[in-house]
Amino acid sequence: MASARRVAVTGLGLVNPFGGDLSDFFGRMLRGESAIRLFTREDEVTKPLAVPAVRCANFDADAELGQSLSYTMDRYSQLGTAAAFSAWRDAGLPRTKDAPRNDWGVSWGTALGGTLTFEKGYFDMLRNGRERVPPLSVVLGMSNAAASHISIQLGLGASSATYSVACASSAVAIGEVLQKIRSGEATLMVVGGSEAPLSYGVVRAWEAMRILALGDEASAARACRPFSSDRQGLVLGEGAGAMILEDWDHAVRRGARIYAEFAGCGSTSDHEHLVRPSVDGQMRAMRMAIHDGGLAPDEIDYINAHGTATREGDPIEIAAIRGVFGSRSTAVAVSATKSMHGHMLGATGVIEAIITVLSLASQEAPPTAYLDDVDCECAGVRHITGGPLRASLRAALSNSFAFGGSNTVLAFRAAH
Amino acid sequence: MKPDNLTVLSEFLHKRENIDPARVTPEALLEELKVDSLMLLELLFEFEDRLGVKIPQDIPRPKTVGDLLGIVDKVAAGHGV
Repeated sequence: MASARRVAVTGLGLVNPFGGDLSDFFGRMLRGESAIRLFTREDEVTKPLAVPAVRCANFDADAELGQSLSYTMDRYSQLGTAAAFSAWRDAGLPRTKDAPRNDWGVSWGTALGGTLTFEKGYFDMLRNGRERVPPLSVVLGMSNAAASHISIQLGLGASSATYSVACASSAVAIGEVLQKIRSGEATLMVVGGSEAPLSYGVVRAWEAMRILALGDEASAARACRPFSSDRQGLVLGEGAGAMILEDWDHAVRRGARIYAEFAGCGSTSDHEHLVRPSVDGQMRAMRMAIHDGGLAPDEIDYINAHGTATREGDPIEIAAIRGVFGSRSTAVAVSATKSMHGHMLGATGVIEAIITVLSLASQEAPPTAYLDDVDCECAGVRHITGGPLRASLRAALSNSFAFGGSNTVLAFRAAH
Repeated sequence: MKPDNLTVLSEFLHKRENIDPARVTPEALLEELKVDSLMLLELLFEFEDRLGVKIPQDIPRPKTVGDLLGIVDKVAAGHGV
């Protein structure tokens, strides 16, 4: 049996709330700059909504995709397809459908799919008294729409699959392709996720769980403070990210830039509780990712934490990191970038994976923003605060721990 | 005065696909005007809304602009298709 192929990360793309390109986004992450703002809605149908959130306000779907394409998409597909196009360009791949690409595919994540389409339909029927909804409602709202559009637009003939695993959706989507490329079943995969969760009902539902961070215009930017003693919950965000993963030798042959190696993945289930995470489940996922990547725990120099800033979740993740790394925990650099880009649900795993990959490529890792006072329950690791960490970063983990107890950890190795 | 059905169609196609209204003639093939099965559903929906009628589900699939407008005219006049 031939030895397993290695997997290269050769393209990165995103749609982010700052409105700039990949390097602009990563620069802001390194500087600890928050994209969180007060999000308000005052439709006549609703009681006014005002919560800290992250919006891609400058995203112009018609300009990015063309009107005839954008019209057939819910916002989550628009964001996702634009991110996939961006990663495709970044990887230096041509936009032609002529070449046979039946071993190239797409693996996508979304927690909620076309929630804005659903909401519009319900408003029309239940509020406005219409008895029917527009004929594209099904194909706009379906959860595999983004993956399907990406597959059609880029001419990808291998599998097109969508994973909905709450906050780990896009991490799972990334993890699931590892074996496909290692085994030779696929040569190149477009992976990632997208989410447009700022519908009235979705925001209210998260509010009802009492875990959304509060804030006003002045304080919204610092509303999400993972690991901080005064943390108060998460901030919802919309956005999308995509990566091009490909067979290492294929990437080398075509002269592609390799950002990092996607080395390993670990997926576990807590099998305990719907929302209370488990130290054991998270430890098993981290260990599995490290082992699967042929890495030693000592090689992990940075962890992009799941770190949502909930009272309950943050200490459990730190306990799991301490459990895996033992006495070396205080040397493992950790940051939670949700403090800046918010929690993009099904897209958050890939956004954080992109940040992790860029950290390895640049040997600089971003801080947890607004972490002035580490909670004693979250101590024991090397929290990055204030500004970027510049250090030798050999390998890194990106943690995604979903409601429902689904854990996925991605391990990346520096390419140099 | 309300626009006639041909104008409604050509304005829809111009807005959505930037198609020159001069190309939207009764003989024109819908396929060549980028009207696929999904867009046909949208067009039928649009006509139903504007004319306040219900177009039956089992209509023959129109090939040309004229076919489509013929269906709409018949339904609007209260005749079967």
